[in-house]
Amino acid sequence: MEVQDIRVVLAPAVSLLCAALVFASAERTFWRRFFSLSAAAIKLLIIMSMLPGSLRGVVYVYDLVQFTPGVGLAFRADALGMFFAAVSATLWLFTTIYAIGYMEGEPHRRRFFGFFALCVSTTVGVSFAENLLTLFLFYETLTICTYPLVIHDETPEAMKAGRKYLAYTLTGGAFVLLGSVIVYGLTGTMTLSQPGILSLESGRVTLAALFVCLIAGFGVKAAIMPLHSWLPSAMVAPTPVSALLHAVAVVKVGAFGILRVIYNIYGVELLDELGFCDYLAVLAAFTIIAASVIAIFQDNFKRRLAFSTISQLSYIVLGASLLTPYGATAAVVHLANQAFAKITMFFVAGSIQRKTGKTTVHELAGIGYRMPYTMAAFTVAALSFVGVPLFAGFVTKWYLSLGGLQAEKWWVVLVMLVSSLLNAVYWLPIVYAAFFKAPADAVVEVHESNWTLLVPTLVCAAYVIVFGITVTVPGMPFSLANAAVEFVFGM
Amino acid sequence: MVVLAPLVGAVLTPIVARRDRRIAQWWALGIMTVTSVAAVALMVRVTEEGPFSYYLGGWVPPIGIEFRFDEVSAFIGIVCLVGWLAILYSFRYTEWLRGLEKPRIPYYYTLLLLNLAGLIGISITGDLFNFFVFLEIISLSGYALVAVSGERIAEMAAFKYLLIGAVSSLLVLLAIGLIYALTGSLNMADISARLGGAATRPLGVAIGAFTVGFMVKAALFPLHIWLPDAHAIAPSPVSAVLSGLVVKVGIIGMLRVYQIVYGSGSMNLDGLNQVLMWLGAISIIIGAFFAIFQDDIKMMLAYSTISNIGYIVMGLGLASQYGLIGASIHVFNHALIKATLFLGAGCLIYRTGKRTLTELAGVGRSMPWTAAAMSIGAISIVGIPPTAGFLCKWYIALGAVQAGQTFFAFALVFGALFIFIYYIRMVNAFYFRPPADPEILAVKEAPPSMLVPVLLLAALCLIMGVLGRLPLTFIEPAVTRLLSGMGGG
Repeated sequence: MEVQDIRVVLAPAVSLLCAALVFASAERTFWRRFFSLSAAAIKLLIIMSMLPGSLRGVVYVYDLVQFTPGVGLAFRADALGMFFAAVSATLWLFTTIYAIGYMEGEPHRRRFFGFFALCVSTTVGVSFAENLLTLFLFYETLTICTYPLVIHDETPEAMKAGRKYLAYTLTGGAFVLLGSVIVYGLTGTMTLSQPGILSLESGRVTLAALFVCLIAGFGVKAAIMPLHSWLPSAMVAPTPVSALLHAVAVVKVGAFGILRVIYNIYGVELLDELGFCDYLAVLAAFTIIAASVIAIFQDNFKRRLAFSTISQLSYIVLGASLLTPYGATAAVVHLANQAFAKITMFFVAGSIQRKTGKTTVHELAGIGYRMPYTMAAFTVAALSFVGVPLFAGFVTKWYLSLGGLQAEKWWVVLVMLVSSLLNAVYWLPIVYAAFFKAPADAVVEVHESNWTLLVPTLVCAAYVIVFGITVTVPGMPFSLANAAVEFVFGM
Repeated sequence: MVVLAPLVGAVLTPIVARRDRRIAQWWALGIMTVTSVAAVALMVRVTEEGPFSYYLGGWVPPIGIEFRFDEVSAFIGIVCLVGWLAILYSFRYTEWLRGLEKPRIPYYYTLLLLNLAGLIGISITGDLFNFFVFLEIISLSGYALVAVSGERIAEMAAFKYLLIGAVSSLLVLLAIGLIYALTGSLNMADISARLGGAATRPLGVAIGAFTVGFMVKAALFPLHIWLPDAHAIAPSPVSAVLSGLVVKVGIIGMLRVYQIVYGSGSMNLDGLNQVLMWLGAISIIIGAFFAIFQDDIKMMLAYSTISNIGYIVMGLGLASQYGLIGASIHVFNHALIKATLFLGAGCLIYRTGKRTLTELAGVGRSMPWTAAAMSIGAISIVGIPPTAGFLCKWYIALGAVQAGQTFFAFALVFGALFIFIYYIRMVNAFYFRPPADPEILAVKEAPPSMLVPVLLLAALCLIMGVLGRLPLTFIEPAVTRLLSGMGGG
């Protein structure tokens, strides 16, 4: 059932307005905080108010402007879009609180919070995009809006990372544009509301070229190897940026784009016939393993997180490319599971850096004595990544393995096992060192970070557990993911 | 008629305002306002009724001169807008120009008005010789306006412009002569009707001469060499007019020739289209390539014009519905965007006296509005949504796919990336680089009469991105008519 509802436009518009107000508020700290927080809260309320309807199967749509007949700015909140939007809006609120604490005393805060809000606006825009053009529009805007955040420190290193970031993501954007144009040329429509709009009539070669275009384009942001190298470099950004943008917004927009391409542009049946997804699955599996192996050898905390992100993102891609219902479920829920666990870790890394100045893994011995709550949150996230039952990460791995069996690809299970093992190899030693090794400094006293840093960390960690144990509870995100999968597979 | 107002106004300027430059500037602005109102009235009429004609002196063509207002003529809308803003902008800018002595300022407005009158005339004339006359008015006033800036190499740049421009004018004249010899008529509609039985070879030569001549005017590679110096050296409001409007004359000329030839159905232009596509693609790349190595901000903008003309010509060459729509929209949008950028650059130069990116580093802190407007312009010209430039890129790429030339869609999309490389340098210099000279933090924002045009244009860049359907009301009927002619031939 489709319902015209302005709320799908309001959701991205709130943060757009917020950005304008933040820019206008000059250097007045109070107003900047007030606008950022209230916009985050309002946005979350708007999206949550649509959630019950979405769970009942209502799809909210709104056409804003038409460029030409058939192509225009149009919004449509289907189950998949709602899922992604709800995740980003929730995390925006927490990250805003965290960022206010983290950025205290830093220069250029107005620019920071302004572009921060713009990024979230565009992310929600991507999730509610009704057609490929709208999606592309927000996709590119997101690239531009993150640039000032990546180079926030304005050091030569940051500028270099910024250049690399732009070079990769804009090239990706160009591929997406090219792909969109071809889609429109072939079908005369760009809608994302159908389970597939292309057909075999277009010819195998054309469809293959188009698939490469679109997947490579979105794959840059989703950091599929070998298109990943911008992500570790971009870790020079301030931690809240890395947290929200490089664990959630930017990279997930890429993964979300891939989901849209597979489910709504090509459609499961067509891809099944064409068989392109087998290659993609192999590539994703390779990325999962290779990135994990590289992560083991990273001593810089944030770089290790970056490679872990690369590995985790490919779970989503792998799940989607299996083309089975269970695989799809895994892909969709991992949008949330990865986001909450990874943002917890980034918050922890940021808190430690702010509190103790430590940025490398080997310096973390005994940190658990000083910052017990922070490190407890870290432990939760680490266990989730390893895939211990009752944590969110387990749900993904379970469904992904089932999906692999459904697709008669037994090696997926093997990849899951190896990946769990590798995750354990690079996360658990940190937990061990933090709690069981003697701290380097003689004085041991509890010295936690401010509540603005601590509370978001703990809440996100709590989410990881909640997601892990409430899979069958109706009304939870999982049921929304199921709704999305059912639509895609026509169940 | 719209064309008379600025023409007469221009001639009268020195007389009205012999002594006082203030009278001259308000006079020029007033003339332009009257013209704009008339232009809007005409545009409304053309959307309601379709093309219509006015016969000068009541003589019916093919003997008399016909002014024909059709959708292509809607170009005058943008001419009036940019022209009006450029005049407003000139109020303060001319006072500051070194090469322009105070008593001579009225002559500057005369030239500017003449140039704009030529632009308006050329888009509404229905007569080939008349077309040539307006072309010369534009060119001659253009040469003088380039020289006016008083920069060190201004005379040299103007001379280069003059020399190459004169050759191209001769080619156009030659082509007109040939056409006249073939058909015995100079009226476009009449030619089109009579051309049917004409011999192919002389017609081919004529079209070739037209093309080369107009391509010089449009600064398409490899005939672009005159442009960078001329546009970079000219005073900024003039650069905006030259880069945004005057180069488009070549495009309008091409469109008219296409209209005539397609209308007559006497010749197949597929070969020419192929050439245009390739030249367009090469222009995009070459323009971007040279722009990367420029440190002078206006030089960079000038090379970027070459790239953008490449877009338009590629769209023309594709000769598919979306390609032509894209090309036509880009004629409008590029005028908006480039005017934003040149006027913005003018503000920076006016306040800081510096014109290289290295020296301008950090200026975004002291002139936030100008820098913001220019950043919007930069994003727009690279074609990142939701700005005006994106639509053009979208349509032209779509046109390429429609014409089965996916390669050109590829070239276009990645050419745009190339362009982004140097614009990001500009944005970086404004905001993210430490100032080369601490004094730059102390400069003031540009005065209102200069800032308002820049901001207005920047806002339009954004609005046209969202309300992209607006110019389509003019473009779609024109393109449909052109393509139906092509189908007949």
